[in-house]
Amino acid sequence: MPDTSSGTMGGSSAFVVSAKKRRMQQIMKMTGESLLFLVASFVAVVVLFIFYFVARDAIPFFQLRGFAEFFTSTNWYPADEPGEFGALAIIYGSGMVTLGSALIAVPLGIAAAICLSDVLPFNIRQYAKPVIEMLAAIPSVAYGFFALVIFAPLLQNFGGTILMWTWWVIAGPFLVLAVVVLGDMVTAGEPDEAKRDRKRLLMNGFFSVLALGLLYWVGNTLNAIQIMSGTNALNVSIILSFMALPTIVSVSEDALQAVGRELREGSYALGATRAETLVQTVLPAASSGILAAVILGIMRALGETMVVWMASGNSSQIPDPWFNYLDSIRTLTAATIAGDMGEADQVTGSARYHVLFAMGLLLLIFSFVSNFISERVVVRQRKILSGQ
Amino acid sequence: MNIGTRKLLDRSFTAVGFTSIMLMALALLAVLVPIITGGIKALYFQGTVEHRTLLFNEFQRGDEAKLAVDAERSEAARKPVYEYLAAFDTELESLPFERKRALESEYHHVRDTLHELLGPLPGDTPPLLLRFQYGVTRWEKAEEELHNLLYMTKWDYSDPTKMATQYFAPRVDEFTGTSLEGLFGYVEEHLEEMLLPQPEFYWGFITDRSLDAHIFGGVWAEIQGTFYLAIGAMLFAFPLGVIAAIYFTEYAKDNYLTSMLRSANSTLAGVPSIVFGLFGLAFFINTMKVSESKSVLAGSLTLAIMILPTIIRAAEEAILSVPKTYREASLGLGATKWRTIMTVILPAALPGIITGGIISLGRAAGETAPIIFTAAVSVGATIGIADVFTEPTPALSWNIYNLASEHEAANEIRHVQYGMVMALISIVLLLNISAILLRARISQKLKG
Repeated sequence: MPDTSSGTMGGSSAFVVSAKKRRMQQIMKMTGESLLFLVASFVAVVVLFIFYFVARDAIPFFQLRGFAEFFTSTNWYPADEPGEFGALAIIYGSGMVTLGSALIAVPLGIAAAICLSDVLPFNIRQYAKPVIEMLAAIPSVAYGFFALVIFAPLLQNFGGTILMWTWWVIAGPFLVLAVVVLGDMVTAGEPDEAKRDRKRLLMNGFFSVLALGLLYWVGNTLNAIQIMSGTNALNVSIILSFMALPTIVSVSEDALQAVGRELREGSYALGATRAETLVQTVLPAASSGILAAVILGIMRALGETMVVWMASGNSSQIPDPWFNYLDSIRTLTAATIAGDMGEADQVTGSARYHVLFAMGLLLLIFSFVSNFISERVVVRQRKILSGQ
Repeated sequence: MNIGTRKLLDRSFTAVGFTSIMLMALALLAVLVPIITGGIKALYFQGTVEHRTLLFNEFQRGDEAKLAVDAERSEAARKPVYEYLAAFDTELESLPFERKRALESEYHHVRDTLHELLGPLPGDTPPLLLRFQYGVTRWEKAEEELHNLLYMTKWDYSDPTKMATQYFAPRVDEFTGTSLEGLFGYVEEHLEEMLLPQPEFYWGFITDRSLDAHIFGGVWAEIQGTFYLAIGAMLFAFPLGVIAAIYFTEYAKDNYLTSMLRSANSTLAGVPSIVFGLFGLAFFINTMKVSESKSVLAGSLTLAIMILPTIIRAAEEAILSVPKTYREASLGLGATKWRTIMTVILPAALPGIITGGIISLGRAAGETAPIIFTAAVSVGATIGIADVFTEPTPALSWNIYNLASEHEAANEIRHVQYGMVMALISIVLLLNISAILLRARISQKLKG
């Protein structure tokens, strides 16, 4: 920290300043600094205000209706007289798309971050970074428009085929890899080399048949699926994962870079390949930073409004069966807060108006807690890494 | 494990990394390409004579003499159509009741479609809404309408085990033997002469006001509203953010209070955008009463709060990246701390600070959720700069949502929606690209 008193007064006799002038300077500096402090603390004041004003309008709802209905009932009929305010299906919908987008974005994002920090040469990385930045910069309403007008009809008309090809493209290479690795692992105990090779070939053949069967069977099952409506949880999850990816990639890349050269070099010196170094040494060391990245990415998906509003179908129900991603859902942010406010606006003071703030409060608390956790986690990683 | 397998695993690990980056690039392309190709159609398309008439009547734009010639030509080509209709009108009266009733609803459909194609038919009462006063303005729509005129959509229920399949039956079959029979063939052959399509570059899409709730006209009101909101937000957030960053980097002591302020900053960055909207409604409008109801001012304030953390972080980073030697040299020459900040550190950090500002500007322009309750209206005219304190405004982001999901004719005006999305994305991406270029120049300069 720079010493604040350094500056004009070195204390040497060459700069003789009268006591009065010195006091004036002191006072000026104090007021200046406190003004700066006031501006800086403005952010904290805003955070407090947000909590206060959202809670102030949320609490009347809980006073009117209690907690039980809001969290346990799935009957959402706010416009009825008297209304029903069961938000369970809506909370479930929020959780469902958040989980779905995390399932897509987390593996992809971490793989991309590893690639950016350890694999790609510098000059290619320079081109990859703007791609991620542009992905982050596209406004959410543009993503929503894409989901509604372009992606939903595609999904509705060719849903099964799209799912089948996605499965083949993703699972194919992985199954090939699994066949090789499994064959290797099963035969690793065999001491005689010629015998081992023969045995491995046999095992590879056996696993290939299994893998081909799996590929074909799952592909066929997926191909037979008829998607009734393109605006569903799957569509939203995919688009939300696009939006969460940039956050996950950039934060986990920072975490990976923070691990430093020594660990990597130590691992290479022990004869590990690059993949082994990354998976067994670097990733564990960066794990807390990556956890923070995942939390932040999930928050981005949970708090997103426009995509969900436009492409989720907005039906307040728990899908049947509960894991059916091809059903329409509704989430806290969108349909509910954004969509109902227009009508509820007129009757400030009713349960209908306050329930939206209750949902806002729920989101706010959630984001606050996850932010807090991710921050702690990052601090801890920094401490551990600097301790070494 | 076998060394070959280990190598294979290593390679495939690399491949997974590459693929994921490629996938992200592909995702970007998959979103951008259809939006841009669709958006270009809003600006460049085959415009019919109806479009040229509309532009002349509403905006006094275009060559009057040439338009008169065109109108005359198309009127001549349309005359037989009107004659067919008139002849059939009289024939319909003379038909036996059963036959008349069977034909009447189909005939209504024909008249409606012709109205869509050519504008009001002779004998119709002049329509009040602008959208009914003109025929089709875009040639690709004319082709769709022609198909509607020539064919009926029917459903085939013959196989009860399957979903019904759709097929088209020629409409002319219904009218065989009547005086309307010739109409269908005539329209099919002479549609081009009736509408006189020609390629048109409609730059007015950017600069015109919208006509009849975006059925015709441009999106200037939305673009202007977006600029007001984004720039308004910057006016509040930029000075505050830079000052706060100066405090955090230069003055803040490493204590509990500072770390609390910092985590307040990251909490604010993580608040979902819709909650900012709720806060803006509850605080700026209902409590502070900055305006009667929604206004640009309330929206700008809400957006300002939203982008503040980003600006603070970017400014902090820019200030921290100024080499230490600059500061030491200045202090060593006897400058005060404040003077050092103002004359040495800030100028050196300025490009970095501006980069952060530009990115935040793009974010403020693109965000929808915070302005839904505080500033945006779906239909509205352009507002003057003096009205920003009291009036709400249409804005690109909100109107994209509104036109795509709530507009009564959402399917008919896809080209307007695409055009709006392209306009918004162009604004945001241009801002971001300039920020990226600016940053590349800074890093080059710092390298020396």
